[in-house]
Formats: sequence, C-alpha cells, structure tokens
Amino acid sequence: MFPIDQYAWTHRWRGHHPAERALLAGGMLLIAVTLPPLATAPLVLLAMAGATVTGAGVPLAAWLRVMAIPAGFLLLSLPFLAVSLDLTDGMRLAFSSAGAWLAVAVGLRSLAAVSALAFLTLTTPVAELVPWLRRVGVPQAVVEIALLIYRLLFIVADCAAATRNAQEARLGYSTVRRGIRSLGLLAATLLTRTLARARRLEIGLAARGFEGTLRVLTPERTLSRPHLAAVTAALFAVAAGGLTLHQVLR
Amino acid sequence: MSTPILDAQGLTYAYPGGVTALRGMTLTVRRGRRLALLGSNGCGKTTLLLHLNGTLKPGRGQVLIDGQPAGYDRAALAAWRGRVGLVLQEPDDQLFSATVYQDVSFGPLNQGLSEPAARERVLEALAALDIAELAGRPTQLLSFGQKKRAAIAGVLAMHPQVLILDEPTAGLDARGVTQLKAALERLQERGATLVFSTHDVDLAYAWADDVAILGDGTLLRQGETVATLADAKLLTAARLNTPTILTLTNALREPGAPWPGGQLPRTAEDLGAYLDGCRDGVI
Repeated sequence: MFPIDQYAWTHRWRGHHPAERALLAGGMLLIAVTLPPLATAPLVLLAMAGATVTGAGVPLAAWLRVMAIPAGFLLLSLPFLAVSLDLTDGMRLAFSSAGAWLAVAVGLRSLAAVSALAFLTLTTPVAELVPWLRRVGVPQAVVEIALLIYRLLFIVADCAAATRNAQEARLGYSTVRRGIRSLGLLAATLLTRTLARARRLEIGLAARGFEGTLRVLTPERTLSRPHLAAVTAALFAVAAGGLTLHQVLR
Repeated sequence: MSTPILDAQGLTYAYPGGVTALRGMTLTVRRGRRLALLGSNGCGKTTLLLHLNGTLKPGRGQVLIDGQPAGYDRAALAAWRGRVGLVLQEPDDQLFSATVYQDVSFGPLNQGLSEPAARERVLEALAALDIAELAGRPTQLLSFGQKKRAAIAGVLAMHPQVLILDEPTAGLDARGVTQLKAALERLQERGATLVFSTHDVDLAYAWADDVAILGDGTLLRQGETVATLADAKLLTAARLNTPTILTLTNALREPGAPWPGGQLPRTAEDLGAYLDGCRDGVI
C-alpha cells in the first residue's frame, strides 16, 4: 500500500544496524552541502544511487520515482536563478552566465542532498528512527504520538480502501455526483470507525498494563566495524575525489 | 474442590446508552482447564470476558480472584492484568507497535521487568507461538494468522496464569486453527488456564474440557463438555446447533445407549477410526 515503507522493510541491508545507514546518508549530505558542488555533487549522486540500487537492492524504478518529485521542483524553480531583474534602466529581465552557473550548482547540490535523504528513506522505516529520536532528547509524548500515527496510518488506509471497494461494488462511484456523495459517506464512516478502534486499542493496551507510557524494545543489533570502516572509506573517497576533480576543473 | 482461580458472581452490566449486556451472569474458571464460552451473537460473551480482567466494572455482582474480591484501584488492576491476560478478537486492535518484537516487549516492560529480562520474555513468547522468525517484521506486512499469533505472544510474554481469548479461531484458516490449538495446548501443559469464547460448537465439543452456555446475558449452564452439549433442549434454548460429531454418534446408537467403543468420539478423526474398525470387523 505504501511502496516506500515496503522497500524500507524488505531491502537487502535490512539486518544491518540503522546507524550505519544514517552515518552514510548524513556524511554524504554534509559533503554535498559543504564541498564545491560542480565537482562533488555528481559523485555523491552516483554513490547514493549505487548504495540504494546495487547495495540495498531497491529497484531502480523506485529510486527514480522518489527522486522525480524533488527533481521536478528543482526544474521548475532553477531557471529563475539564472535570470535577474535589472532596475537600473527601467525594468528588464537579464540573463547572466554567472546566474546560470549558480543555478546549475544549486541544482546539482540539491539533487545530491536529496539523493542522500532518498537513500535513508528507502532503507530505513520510520519505526527504526523512533527509538533514536528518544535518545537524542525528543519528548516521550511526541515520540509516542509519532509511533501511533505510523501504525494507525496503515490501519486507517486499509479501512478506507475496504470501504471504498465496498462502495464501488455497489456503484457508489458510477457518476461524479454519486462519487462525491460516496466519498463524504466514506469520510464519515472512517471517523466513527477510527474512534471505535481507538477505544478497542485502549482496552488491548490496558490489558497489557498500559499506564500512560508506551515503552517498547527493539531487537538488539550490533554496529559492525567492517561496515563502519566501509562507510567511512566511501565518505573519504567521495570527498577526496570531489576536491581533486574541483582542482582539475579549475 | 479447590478455590476457582476466577469466579464471577451475579454480574450485571449495561453499556452507556442503555444496552443491558449482562443480567446476573455467573462463571467459574477452574485452574488448569480449557473452558469454552458458547453462545449466539449478542449473548454477552465479550462483555463477560472484559469483566474477567477488570476492563469493565460490573454494575452489580463481583469477581473473585482466588476467592478474594477483586479491587479496581490502579495497583489491584495492574496485578490482576498480570495474572489474567486478555487477547482481543481483532489483532489489529491490539498490535500498536511497528514491529512484532516491539509489540511483544510492551507488556513485560509495563510489569516493571528489566530490559534483559523483558528481552528473554519476548524471545520465549515468540518461540512458544512458533513465530520467532517474524520478530523484526512490521505488523502491517503480516498475514491475519500471523497477526493473531503475534497478538497472543504479546499477552503471553507477561506470563499470565489465565489466558482469555475472544473468538481465537475467527477468521483463521484450517492450518491457522491447528497451529493455534497446538500452541495453546503447549501453554496449558505448562499450567496455564484457558478461557475462550466461540460460537463454533464443533470446536468446543472437540477441544474444550468444560463449556459454559450463555444466553441473553445469563449463564444457562456450565459443566463438563460432553455431558453439557448432549442436552438438546439446552442447545435449542441457546440457539446453538448440535455438534456434528455428536449428531453422527447419536445416529449410530440406540437413543440413550452407551457408546460401544467406550469413550464417545469427539472429533472427526476419532469417529473415522471407530468406523474403520467397524468395517474391518463386519465385512
């Protein structure tokens, strides 16, 4: 139902400690935003695509789809960086080559940064980040709400899909007019059902001794030294490669 | 007879809004037995189960735990729920965590166990239900049968003395029912008491030690399974069918006559074995 979540739970690096992936993504993100973009950003982009697709085994099509949305935003907004408004002699639009280079640099840098985040998104489910959020000091209540929302998202979506199918089977969407009416009914049903379900969830939690805090444990996974070494080596290689390339280009 | 582990006496309960679900309900849960609550839809099975772990407080009547009246303050409820585990009918109502492991760890942590002890309980409960390989799986990617067993593991990890299951076999396929029964039998061998509600008379006839027949918010009768379900008038009053195997065994003997093989068959397999024996002997 949620393809990103599905990939995040089933990819090849699933058994590894999430911190290893967080370090790789965070490191690449740092490299992408700090080092000269024209030389470094393509390397970061390449490294993250490789890690996601050949490393973790997420299908290329899925990666491209995740990248397409931010790429689309960039394509729409970057041309305006290359153009500037000149007010010295009346009002006129000016195209400058400096502006064009700036647009390319910003575009590459953003794309590289997005690719690092896409890697993390496609390989790490929200639920794995939650215990970590607690450790870095996000309030307990906020973390619990995030956890519950994550879980309920799937339940509500299932419920909505089932109700919609039932409506469709009885021609609820045969005309636009009926479709709007059916959608309204669906929303109303969803509200009452979700409330009833919340009540039952409360009974289930109380039966297991719930007294206000949702404390849970995650399976213990150990950080692997070889993996950490490989991540560090990859970060250094990309940074060094980027800086060298930058010298050559100049 | 020893003191029953749970004893419900004259429970009355009306839901807010006025629907009266229990009208003087009585139930005795004996230690180490498998008790089935049988009754048609709306007879008060689920409401009764919710009284057995203190989720609902009766309007009148009381629940005794080991002969002592149950308390409804925080400490008493916490102790009660540690002893009496409740598994809801719909596993999605119970699994709130992202992964099976997380969800099962919830109860033991609430009991104040240390982290290593809680981890031990999680692994033990997952092994008991034969789902150790699902530990890291997200709950939304499980099949219904897997969800059901994960929900039971979450309650089991608290080491309850009594396990209460609301319609445990509803929605499960044949293999799921077999696996679930095997897991519950293993628990019972370790001393757990089982109480489950069902409207499947064949399941109760084949598998329960005792049955309690419920009708319209009261207990019609509670007793040993075969003797109780043999009462056709009682079953009609409760709007229940006669168990299939019982109908067949009745057709094979004179009314009221003892069963020629001694022990009355309770499953299709038992009856099949008996008929096999007849064919070999007669033909």
